[in-house]
Amino acid sequence: MKAFFSNEYNVLTARIFLGTLLVVASADKIADPAAFARSIEDYQLISGTAAMVAATIIPWMEMLCGLALIAGVVVQASALLTGALLLAFTIAVISALVRGLDISCGCFTQDPAVSRIGWLKIGENVILIAVTAFLYSAQNTRFSLEHYIGSRQSGS
Amino acid sequence: MTRHRQRFREAAVLAACAVVLGFSSTAIRSKGVFGPNASVGPTAQGVRPDSPTMIQLPEAIHLFESGEALFVDARHAFDFARGHIRGAVNLPLNEFDSRTGLLDSLPRNRVLITYCDGVECNSSIGLASRLRDAGYSGVRIFFAGWSEWQAKNLPMETNTP
Repeated sequence: MKAFFSNEYNVLTARIFLGTLLVVASADKIADPAAFARSIEDYQLISGTAAMVAATIIPWMEMLCGLALIAGVVVQASALLTGALLLAFTIAVISALVRGLDISCGCFTQDPAVSRIGWLKIGENVILIAVTAFLYSAQNTRFSLEHYIGSRQSGS
Repeated sequence: MTRHRQRFREAAVLAACAVVLGFSSTAIRSKGVFGPNASVGPTAQGVRPDSPTMIQLPEAIHLFESGEALFVDARHAFDFARGHIRGAVNLPLNEFDSRTGLLDSLPRNRVLITYCDGVECNSSIGLASRLRDAGYSGVRIFFAGWSEWQAKNLPMETNTP
């Protein structure tokens, strides 16, 4: 088990997978924050300016975390922040499902016709949260910018 | 413990960077908060401005009596069978996609008024949005819904099989 957690290739795969997912997810939202704000409003948890502010900040959190995970800088902090975001998304989806809202997820695209929320989404998010937990607890930093910088500093 | 604290601090810095990047990028591109339609919406019940309009009981009664409107009940079939606004049709929100036959049979020349239990439920709003997206114009939401209609003892009927 410990070997799995410290295996450098497992950590690398998880980083690239989650990082790419986050960057892809953030692209549409950054391009059109107003559309993302409408997706947020569909959940009927926040609305108006609050939704717009969330739509301004959340995509950049995803983008920054995604890039940091791919590059291998502040990996654990990125995993932590991503985990917190995913947890919030999951709670929002569960609350919408419980209230019987039939809305589009707004996760990867803002097209209302695509990807409506369902219990499958919760499953996906749980898996992604597990990946963030893995990256947070993993100690291996090989193939990361941090490792490269660290080794150069200690070598000189 | 300090290791965790350090990670939390780094995560907070990342979040702060996202705030700065988010607001500066939207400001530069005049989008989102800084965009032309910055206010995405009014906000009672989280309703968007392009959402179908909400009506109160007097208007609902007026439209009912004049026969201009068809009431569409967003509740579950079981609740609908126990009692509904007279003349209403039942289109539960979660069956919207599977009830295409009913959807096609809805008149396009009448006002459609959606309702559900009352202020505790949102499916009337969801159903109205779906109807609008399906091309029906002039959809209204009778948000006070069944509970108020029933409380005022207005014309009702039950399903008798």
